[in-house]
Amino acid sequence: MEHLSTHTIEKGLEILRKFDDGRFLTSINSCVHCGLCADSCMYYVSMKENAFIPAKKVALIESIYKRYYTFTGRTFPKLIHAKELNGETTAELIDLFYGACTLCGRCNIHCAIGVDIAYLVSIGRAMLAEMGLTPPTLQSTVDAALTSGNNMRIATDDFVETLKWLEEELRDEVNDPDASIPLNEKDRNLLYTLNPREPKFFPLSISAMAKIFYAARESWTISTHMYDVTNYAFFTGNLNEARIIAQRMLDEVKKLNCRELILAECGHGERAFRWEAPNYLQTNFDFPVRTSVELLAQYIASGRIKVDKTLMKEKVTLHDPCNLVRSGGIIQEQRYILSKTVTDFVEMNPHGADNLCCGGGGGQLSMSEYNERRMKIGELKAEQIKKTGASVVVSPCHNCVDQLLQLNSYYKLRVKIKTLAELVAEALVLE
Amino acid sequence: MKWYLVITYISLVVCIAGCLYHVIQIIRHRKTRDFSKSADTVGSAITYSFTKAMNPARKESAYLHVPTYIAGMLYHLGTFLSAVLLFVFLFSIDLYRTIELFISVFLMVSILCGTAILVKRIFSKLLREITVIDDYISNILVTAFQVCTLVYIHFSLPVYYIAASALLLYIPFGKLRHAVYFFAARYYLSLFYGHRGTWPPIKH
Ligand code: SF4
Ligand code: SF4
Repeated sequence: MEHLSTHTIEKGLEILRKFDDGRFLTSINSCVHCGLCADSCMYYVSMKENAFIPAKKVALIESIYKRYYTFTGRTFPKLIHAKELNGETTAELIDLFYGACTLCGRCNIHCAIGVDIAYLVSIGRAMLAEMGLTPPTLQSTVDAALTSGNNMRIATDDFVETLKWLEEELRDEVNDPDASIPLNEKDRNLLYTLNPREPKFFPLSISAMAKIFYAARESWTISTHMYDVTNYAFFTGNLNEARIIAQRMLDEVKKLNCRELILAECGHGERAFRWEAPNYLQTNFDFPVRTSVELLAQYIASGRIKVDKTLMKEKVTLHDPCNLVRSGGIIQEQRYILSKTVTDFVEMNPHGADNLCCGGGGGQLSMSEYNERRMKIGELKAEQIKKTGASVVVSPCHNCVDQLLQLNSYYKLRVKIKTLAELVAEALVLE
Repeated sequence: MKWYLVITYISLVVCIAGCLYHVIQIIRHRKTRDFSKSADTVGSAITYSFTKAMNPARKESAYLHVPTYIAGMLYHLGTFLSAVLLFVFLFSIDLYRTIELFISVFLMVSILCGTAILVKRIFSKLLREITVIDDYISNILVTAFQVCTLVYIHFSLPVYYIAASALLLYIPFGKLRHAVYFFAARYYLSLFYGHRGTWPPIKH
């Protein structure tokens, strides 16, 4: 990497100083360099490159932090291998923190000590973002969201047209001319969001959810102004941009005066808005925020929709999105839904809060320069799927679905990949 | 009072003061407010973090590395034992003699474990990737302290106090301060996973 200006370096270091909170301070001081986290990270397991072990990422940010902010690092830098923030360390940071980590957090729970490795990586990303060193491929996704309102730059007219077409389809399917996909309606119970991949590539998942809302006689709406559940600035680490995107969603809930916000099947979208956005915006949300996974489970449990599990004849397995399970605590709901919608369900091993990342998280799907690595680390997921013997893989996350589709063709898995809403819609019994 | 005892007492004070500094840092930088709506399982997550989450059957860092895990546990136990014995020696408490054979054998095993960990660090390519001089110094100081403790049980040599002092003085500055940060790390992890409802896990 070329020479960095003093100003750029200071900007990066300022982030490390600013993040000097207990969680960061503790994690930066706790690693004992035992290396036992290596086998918990798919980057190391699939590629056996020592540079990819989680502890290496910890060591890198630790060495920079200590060089500038600790007595030992300032006085005896060689003793703890304290490193300066310069072109060389920055290049290493970019490669490891953006290109060799999906922020899946699996290493956290297996670390011998309990170091929050994923948090350290996200702070390293925040530092690089502040220095203007986010990979352009990832940044372009954020820029698209900032300038067009959604990360796929879908024009509003095209979006509305797609939804109108889906509405027609819905009417035909349920044989009811009054069935609708309500747009920009005020005072509804639910404001439902979408991952822009849905209108762009997978409109059937919108149909599925619309059919479920129809069956549940739900009062709901979609905003054509701000429907994008994703927040890729959470991945770049640019908190100012993450704040702008989160604020738009908050404003939309207020504007439409809906009682609850339902986040579409999107792991990081759920994490970014439900758990991170209140902190970006320094406010408590005065309305409930839930995922569609929780909503579907509630519909089934309360009898608001009827499902028939015998309609699904195939063997089904579940891929847990890291952000939803490990960082979002939603582990039982999807299993409950599956227990009611399929007869032959098999778990992957490991699963739940111990799941393996699909390899597409952390913004990897946007960073084409790391495509080869992404497919390589996905081999572990492909093997897991093969071992289940399932012909259908369900995942409540459009990002994961995208990666799984690519793994499906790359590793010739010959499985069908579905979202949870699609599965529920297939099992739906309309009365 | 003998000169080496004076040095040991001074080192002990420095060590306690240094560790207290870290504790104060941890408290001073304690978690700022989280605005997101908590899943309200933080209390049980803290308990889980220090108990079941540490169960070797649940941690890959343990069950995928059984020999290293056992060596590490024994080595840590040997260190705690040596620390307790330091107080026993310093304050002339005469209770260990009855169990000195047991202690000696245990320390021998612990020293072997510490040496094995050091050898692994030297020869493992993976470990060398993340090892810094501090790691070697920490390991050597702790192992030397245990060796001197073992020797001191049978022969009261002043070198024991020198080894103890060196270790005490080093604790707050090198990686050995994880003795303090370990608890904070597990606390913060439970705060995160408890707030979000991931911990404690619900059986299904
Ligand atoms: S397991 Fe934890 S303490 Fe050990 S090297 Fe990895 S991050 Fe550090
Ligand atoms: S967060 Fe996931 S990808 Fe990143 S270092 Fe840890 S295990 Fe590896």
